[in-house]
Amino acid sequence: MIVAEHLTKRYGDKTAVDDVSFTVAPGRVTGFLGPNGAGKSTTMRMIVGLDRPSAGHVTVGGQDYRRLRSPLTEVGVLLDAKAVHTGRSARSHLRAMAATHGIGRARVDEVIELTGIGSVAGKRAGAFSLGMGQRLGIAAALLGDPHTLILDEPVNGLDPEGVRWVRQFVRHLAAEGRTVLLSSHLMSEMSQTADHVIVLGRGKVLADAPLSELVRTWTATALVVRSPRLSELVDAVSAPGVEATALEPGAARITGATPAAVGDLAASLGIPLHELSPISGSLEDAYLALTGEAVEYRTKEIA
Amino acid sequence: MTATATPTAAHRSRVSTTHRLTFLHLLRSEVIKIVSLRSTWWSLGITAAISVGMSLLVTAVARDLDGGYPAISAIVVPTQFTMLVAGILGAIVVTGEYSTGMIRSTLTAEPRRGAVLVAKSIVVAAVVAVTTVVVYAASILLTAPLVAQGIDWTTPEASTVTLAWGVAAMAAFTLIGVGFGFLIRSSAGAIAATVGVLFVLPIVFTMFAFAGESWRWIVDAAQYLPSNAAATLTSTGVDDRLPSVVALCGWVAGPLVLGWIALRSRDA
Repeated sequence: MIVAEHLTKRYGDKTAVDDVSFTVAPGRVTGFLGPNGAGKSTTMRMIVGLDRPSAGHVTVGGQDYRRLRSPLTEVGVLLDAKAVHTGRSARSHLRAMAATHGIGRARVDEVIELTGIGSVAGKRAGAFSLGMGQRLGIAAALLGDPHTLILDEPVNGLDPEGVRWVRQFVRHLAAEGRTVLLSSHLMSEMSQTADHVIVLGRGKVLADAPLSELVRTWTATALVVRSPRLSELVDAVSAPGVEATALEPGAARITGATPAAVGDLAASLGIPLHELSPISGSLEDAYLALTGEAVEYRTKEIA
Repeated sequence: MTATATPTAAHRSRVSTTHRLTFLHLLRSEVIKIVSLRSTWWSLGITAAISVGMSLLVTAVARDLDGGYPAISAIVVPTQFTMLVAGILGAIVVTGEYSTGMIRSTLTAEPRRGAVLVAKSIVVAAVVAVTTVVVYAASILLTAPLVAQGIDWTTPEASTVTLAWGVAAMAAFTLIGVGFGFLIRSSAGAIAATVGVLFVLPIVFTMFAFAGESWRWIVDAAQYLPSNAAATLTSTGVDDRLPSVVALCGWVAGPLVLGWIALRSRDA
């Protein structure tokens, strides 16, 4: 369980994290979603005591991280794949990390095997690819078999096999009752991994809801209707709140009406339907709707 | 199931709840860290080469001085040069963690930052101290055939005491580097500060010798610079070592305390 209350981080006159409160519950995967510069990493660094909040506080398992007497067995942290000395081998890095808690070589070998870096464990970490670095970082996070996992962009740079592995792995850990917080700016990844999503934008919490609810609330469900007598049907369904837009000859997109209502109406008027398909929004639509105003670095629309 | 095992394998052998963060564990971790870096071995190797080489050279030269030069001095005099390597090693042990991001792993494993500073200081100082002992032993053995009158082991003042101060001084130089490392964080900056204090300041102070009587106090103060204090400590026939010991301790404490304050208050 991670509880953040009014967490704020200011750098000079710039506020990176602005009065953020949330709870990350055990037993599910919570996703931290937001554009670059939204404050995801800063918030995670504050959770593990690397950055001191300008205001507010955050606890892990009811305790300030800095007061934990056995941090590695309580919390596994992957902040970025570069938190490793480039001159040291992966195995030496893990052994040094494990040694702080008296964790033996057997467990080090286990996490090396688990994350699939056995063949490169003797190499200097500086020579690692981004994906291998991520695996090493995840291996370090798992050393203490922690109750809570905090993973910043864990799939960044991983190959598809690695991405799927991370997804299954964090879902498994959550199913065991552990607390999992992972950040990503990859919507597709988040929609397949997270149960609950906290959306950050410009340092503020824009949404904090179960994934399905988030998508439902922030996207409009639409219908694609295809009919040889389309204009008659569109006239018939027109009502306040119902909107129809032409897609192509004979096809239209209708929002604000249920498939049942449109189908029944068509049947009662004897209008043949060639297609009546509901289109539900994606997390990406919800995300863009939410963060539209809160993007730090906006790209120019391609004309 | 080759590259990545099944999720359940994560808990094949559950990490026992007896695994705890202790200071002894932290020391062990720092030992693993320091011996697993090539830069450590380079630094220690250079220290050994300079020290043994210079001892041989000084001994060879001193042979022509009709025994006016004590054999023990030839052993400890290279410390005036190897101190730089010791200070730089102390600095890069810390700044290497900042430049690579390793410090974030270190501080999440041990969030009590003071303990990290103390453990690192103890380990790197101990590594340099042990190396210095080994190097002195090698120098003594290698120079023995060259000297007419060997080290007088019956007089501790001219043998073991001098060597012990040499070892202590090397540890002190290392800690000055560690302190600047935590304070400045960048390798270039920390090395510059360390070399400045150990090597450049004594030269600057000496310049005031030409500045007239009113600047005399600066020249006098130079004896309390770390390298000069160490030179006094490793000389034979010094009556009162206390001022030099206090000065050297102060030079160690200053950067370390400032480094500790920076480590405590700044974000990692």
